[in-house]
Amino acid sequence: MSCRELIAVLDDYLEGTLAADLLRELERHLAECPPCRAYLATYRRTREVAAAAANVVVPEELKARLRRLLGVSRTG
Amino acid sequence: MSRHASRVYRVALGITRSSADAEEVVQDVFLQIVHKGAGFEGRAALGSWIYRITTNVSLNKRRGKRRELETSLEDLLPRYKADGHREGDRAFLLADWSSMPDRELLAGESRRILEEALDRLPDHYRAVLVLKDVEELSSEEVAEAVGDSVAAVKTRLHRARMALREQLTRRLGAGR
Repeated sequence: MSCRELIAVLDDYLEGTLAADLLRELERHLAECPPCRAYLATYRRTREVAAAAANVVVPEELKARLRRLLGVSRTG
Repeated sequence: MSRHASRVYRVALGITRSSADAEEVVQDVFLQIVHKGAGFEGRAALGSWIYRITTNVSLNKRRGKRRELETSLEDLLPRYKADGHREGDRAFLLADWSSMPDRELLAGESRRILEEALDRLPDHYRAVLVLKDVEELSSEEVAEAVGDSVAAVKTRLHRARMALREQLTRRLGAGR
């Protein structure tokens, strides 16, 4: 497996859906290739940090507006 | 109401990147929920409908806006030599900032770099990233929400993550 082939299947690897033979090849390549290990670590961390950054809270003012909207619609 | 509001707001803000636009999207979506009323077959139908309508309304809001920020993704994907090894400076290829803790990555200059990198992704790429990595939908559910094939969603998601990773590594990776 080359670096190009490894990076192409990273998503499947992280999803745990990689076929057993490809998984063995990928792990063998990772053991021998420091740049691919760095790529995998930063790819995985990118996914985590982008998710953490997007975990926002609904502003209270918007919640209040929605309650008014739903109340008006139900009674009106 | 609160659970749906949180989902809709997260997705809308993730796609539009503007709190004012996201608030408008939330109101539009809730108005549509009210008008649909009991027309849903169940909670699951409502959940997938909410993601679909939120994605559509958010992408419509973005139409024609801030295109100049979007970077060509091709410049942010890995480059390879003829033998399939990655091309580039060895120090850059080995740069690994993954041990930086959340408190460091999600604050100050690092946070600004991350937000800029997200801004630069094309809207449709950011949409699948938010639906998959933030909302943790399956690829099939994301495909339904964005109205595309599972294969297209998987390709777009992988390219979005690679482009984000590249931008973060170029700016955070130096010296690590």
